[in-house]
Amino acid sequence: MAVDVKRTAVPASATRRSRGPRRPALDRLRAFALFGAPGLLVYICFVLAPIVISFGYSLTNHNPFNPPTRFVGLRNYQTLFTDAEFLTSLRVTTILTVIVVIVPNVAGLGIAVLLDRRGWLYNALRTVFFTPMVLSSVVVSIVWTRMLDDEGLVNQSLRALGVARPPGWLSDPGLALYSIAIILSWQMLGFCVVVYLAGLQGVPVELSEAAAIDGAGPVRRFRSVTWPLLAPALTINTVVLLISAFKIFDHIQVITHGGPGTGTTATIAYNVLQTGLVANRQGYASATAIVMLVIIAAAATVTLRVLNRREVNL
Amino acid sequence: MKHRALPTALAAAVALAGCTVGCTVGQEQTPRAGGAAAKKEITFLVFETPNLTPQVWDAAIKRVTDKYPDISVKKLVAPSEDRVSYAKQLLASGQFPDVMIAVSPAGFAESGAMAAFTPDELKDFQFPGNGAVHGKVYQLPTNTQTIPVVYYNRDLFAKAGIGAPPRTYAELLDACAKLKAENITPFVIGGGKDPFASTLAWTATIATDVYAKTPDWMARRRAGSVKFTDPDFVKATTKFADLAAKGYIDKKDVSRDYAATEQAFLDGKGAMYPMGNWFAAAGDDPKRKPSWEIGAFTWPSDDASVVVPAFTGGGLSVSASAKHLAEAKKFALAYTLDTANLDNSVHNDGLYPAIKGYTPPADTGAVFKLGYDLYRQGVQADRVTQAFGWEAGDDGMPPGVVDKWRAAAQDLVTGSRTVDQVLASLDDDWAKAS
Repeated sequence: MAVDVKRTAVPASATRRSRGPRRPALDRLRAFALFGAPGLLVYICFVLAPIVISFGYSLTNHNPFNPPTRFVGLRNYQTLFTDAEFLTSLRVTTILTVIVVIVPNVAGLGIAVLLDRRGWLYNALRTVFFTPMVLSSVVVSIVWTRMLDDEGLVNQSLRALGVARPPGWLSDPGLALYSIAIILSWQMLGFCVVVYLAGLQGVPVELSEAAAIDGAGPVRRFRSVTWPLLAPALTINTVVLLISAFKIFDHIQVITHGGPGTGTTATIAYNVLQTGLVANRQGYASATAIVMLVIIAAAATVTLRVLNRREVNL
Repeated sequence: MKHRALPTALAAAVALAGCTVGCTVGQEQTPRAGGAAAKKEITFLVFETPNLTPQVWDAAIKRVTDKYPDISVKKLVAPSEDRVSYAKQLLASGQFPDVMIAVSPAGFAESGAMAAFTPDELKDFQFPGNGAVHGKVYQLPTNTQTIPVVYYNRDLFAKAGIGAPPRTYAELLDACAKLKAENITPFVIGGGKDPFASTLAWTATIATDVYAKTPDWMARRRAGSVKFTDPDFVKATTKFADLAAKGYIDKKDVSRDYAATEQAFLDGKGAMYPMGNWFAAAGDDPKRKPSWEIGAFTWPSDDASVVVPAFTGGGLSVSASAKHLAEAKKFALAYTLDTANLDNSVHNDGLYPAIKGYTPPADTGAVFKLGYDLYRQGVQADRVTQAFGWEAGDDGMPPGVVDKWRAAAQDLVTGSRTVDQVLASLDDDWAKAS
């Protein structure tokens, strides 16, 4: 009988760190001031304060080119949910996010399993797969724009294979979003591979061997032993991909500028920048940004909770 | 050891910061040695194109700083052609440049971000009131640009049996049909990260069908007495949409950025290239000049009357909050009126300087001369109109609407929205932005 690694309840006492005698409060305060306060200060200045300020702006009609700024209450938020432009960008962002969460996760797991071996070739291949991750998104965007252009490498190859009219990967309004999703997935793939590889290397060999002795084949061993132990890697990948995809801006700006046409690839983040810095409606753009923040936070929290439930402790 | 760690780290950080500051000063070329007076540094926002390379900008700046050694210039380069959005980002983050080129003053001027030029400062300009915002000029009206000129490939025209450039719109459609029959794409357009490159043919039809009849159309639109959905605008837009519907514009071109689009025309990928006269810089460049001969004509109207859409402006603006405002203005005017810079703007960007007493140099290329002659014809016939989508100041669209219009052009090319839908949404966008 194969060994099933199930979620095991870990006694609270086992996780509680044993503590020595408590240090005086002044010492602890001093230690916090030295080590914690700088980080906290940076967090407050560059994360919390901008969010609070943005929320403040979102309650106004702030337009730096058209003063005075007036308090409008929740009007921006009410308008947002009937604004076709925002709803389109929400749809675009959701489609993009779903693809970018699924494709690199699935492909990354497959590649990680194949690369989970020793040898220079596998080390080299790991580097190859991780390289796109360290490239600037602008560089990646420019390279892919050239490749997916009608005269680019992809369509020239398709023509060479006899396809008379290859697709307009970035010019067809029905296809451009999926092309961008594939570009993003390609860039994020290396990250998933590395995280899954780390997870695979953390799976105790004894468990697999025990399962094999019990007669479990490779598929059963993967499903019952490896996969449950990869849950933390899945959690990290899913949450990071979810957040990265939801706030994507730079690829859109460089590759399609939100087009072809009106809003076909305009994500929420792209819309925030367009509304705030091109149309100058910064109060409205702030409301959009706050809604985006709430959506990302909610989606990340739910995903974390759901995925954490299936994590196991050895 | 433990106690030395923090001071050592601080010292290292201070040393690093000192190095950083030193390096920046070095780059700014501010003399400190020998007791020389510190230069007054100004920041200058530029943008790069295939014609306006870093070398072109650096040489142009150096000519002025050589003349005024008390000024040093820190060049800021916009990350794309869209320098206006970048200027807004810089303004929002408190880094608004002291001087900027080709940044429409719309919005900046009204909010007090830009400094107005005085009549005395504008005395050397041919059209000193162009681009005014509430009667004040915030951007030096330096150059006239005809947008678009239709550049064409004479070899491909000959191959399709087209003897002469079309004079009427019907002849243009006939030429397109002949080209398509020969498997030649009639028009080369662009898009991608430079969506303006999708719009040039639409600017042309608006000039012949709207601005030629109603030169103050934009002022009327601001007053609310005309709309995008009015018959003339519908006619101009339908003409543009039909070019795509008939396959005279390849919808796949909307993903190609401006640089690649220019190259596509030079590579003979299509017969006609509606583009601003700045294309002359590439067309006349010996390194890029194609083996075939380039021709040019103005976009034909229905009745063969000449209509030349053009825009005068595009020059330098100065921040009202520049630390050294007098020097910033001095730099802007000196940069603009420098004859070598004007000559270079002719050679490098194919522009027509609108400066009193200035004539383009005699050694301009053939493609420049083609466009300039067409412009002179328009001036002589008094048939120069605004170029839609390029107007500035009181003649420009509200902020954000230009981008909607550019996206709408791609909707028409790809067929994803109808003319009626596009024009109705532009009226909505205008209302939202006003």
